[in-house]
Amino acid sequence: MIQLYNVTKRFSADSVAVKDLTLQIGKGEFVYVTGASGAGKTTFLRMLYAAEKPTKGQILIEGQNITRYRSHQIPFLRRKIGVVFQDFKLLNSRSVYENVAFALEAQGKKRYEVSKKVYQALKEVGLEHRLQRKPMELSGGEQQRIAIARALVVDPLILIADEPSGNLDQDVTLEIMELFKRANARGTTVLLATHDHSLNERFPRRIITLDKGKLIGDQQPLQM
Amino acid sequence: MLERVRYFIFRALRNMRQWPFLCTASILTMAVALATVASFFLVVVNIEQLAQRWTKEIQIVAYLDKPVPTQQIAAITRQLKDLPEVEAVEYVSPRQAMERFKQRLHNDTSLLEGVSDDLLPASFELGLKAPFRNQQGVEAVSEKVDNLLDLDEVRYGQNWLERFNSFVRMLHFVGVVLGAFLLLAALFIVSNTIKLTLFARRDELEIMSLVGATMPFIKVPFILEGAVQGLIGGFLSLIFLLFSFHFVIAHGLASFWLTPADFELLFLSGSQQLLLIFAGVVLGVLGSFSSLRRFVRI
Repeated sequence: MIQLYNVTKRFSADSVAVKDLTLQIGKGEFVYVTGASGAGKTTFLRMLYAAEKPTKGQILIEGQNITRYRSHQIPFLRRKIGVVFQDFKLLNSRSVYENVAFALEAQGKKRYEVSKKVYQALKEVGLEHRLQRKPMELSGGEQQRIAIARALVVDPLILIADEPSGNLDQDVTLEIMELFKRANARGTTVLLATHDHSLNERFPRRIITLDKGKLIGDQQPLQM
Repeated sequence: MLERVRYFIFRALRNMRQWPFLCTASILTMAVALATVASFFLVVVNIEQLAQRWTKEIQIVAYLDKPVPTQQIAAITRQLKDLPEVEAVEYVSPRQAMERFKQRLHNDTSLLEGVSDDLLPASFELGLKAPFRNQQGVEAVSEKVDNLLDLDEVRYGQNWLERFNSFVRMLHFVGVVLGAFLLLAALFIVSNTIKLTLFARRDELEIMSLVGATMPFIKVPFILEGAVQGLIGGFLSLIFLLFSFHFVIAHGLASFWLTPADFELLFLSGSQQLLLIFAGVVLGVLGSFSSLRRFVRI
């Protein structure tokens, strides 16, 4: 599903975010990406949805070399990938419904299809009763669930979450993990960047560890 | 396709409602910028029209060496009138000339006592058609008249015409230069305002591209929004212009010395008014378009 070969990302001559990274992630896997702040987790994830272009190396997603993509092809890659951020990245001027619908409208889906899917996605995250509220009126956990609904409403092949629970308390984090696990169970490949080790203790999965941009660990869970 | 168009229009209008402050700022900036440029245009056009009025006074006076026998006057008048540049011809006999002179002297007519009535030379006064009321026109006609008649001299206020010409040239020049500066300033301010409004909404642009929206999908609603704002801005500018015309420009020009009492000020014609509104739309579209290029990156 995801293949990286000798991927390096350099922002300037003396700042290397990711260094010579080679790894494979299979379809339907659930992978934690860990490492200290500045280890290159975010850059690694951003390269997967073509928000950054590697300085060197190749990235293949579903067999397609996305490093060779032209800018007009990138939107079509992103439609297969749902992204969830630490700061939610919701549009505060729009309602909950509009925030989620946005992802489908961007793909040119029909109106009746949009409303049906948005309702389903919000029901999935337990927020179907908040349709007309603005994100700012909701709690942090609820906002993150909207962001997850937006990422999942398009039935993505890959779900990328960059420190999704960084700003949230433990209970909410567990709720959110539950949503990721459900998506994973439906076949979505999940990449979750975090430095919360307790998550792995509760939900043991493959862990990729980065340090100063280098891959220093790739562990499968013990009981598998 | 229809679904798309419907969505774009809905989105553009919805955005304007969701960002009322930014939207108003763009509209007002465009309206003020357009009204300023258009006001300046009106001032220049009206001063030029005023200048045109003054040229009506341009006249050629051909002084004759000796009076023409009465039976020839009609023939010469016709000959002169046949010149393509000439609008009107009037023969002034020495007696008529003396009459006019006396009138001008008012109370001092006594000065002319004992002076013979045919002291002054006879003359033909030629009025010119509008396109020829300038230095070249006058010079050309003078030469023709000089060849046609046995003349003492031809007068057309050479000095005055030269000065008038340089005044009109200067007016043109100042108008074009100031107008260009104003237009540039207006464009600059409008594009910066639009840039600022887009800057405030850069999250939206970023999220759109993250969820896989294509370039046109991101840009079209913003450009439509620019067009709608430009349209409203254009209308508003027309209203501003009406106000500034009646309360400022008209007053200013009316108190201007040399403005004849019956002088009618020009306002924008119907098609120019449409052009102004259209300019608003173009301004909005171009402003959004150029600013989007800086903010939307995939």
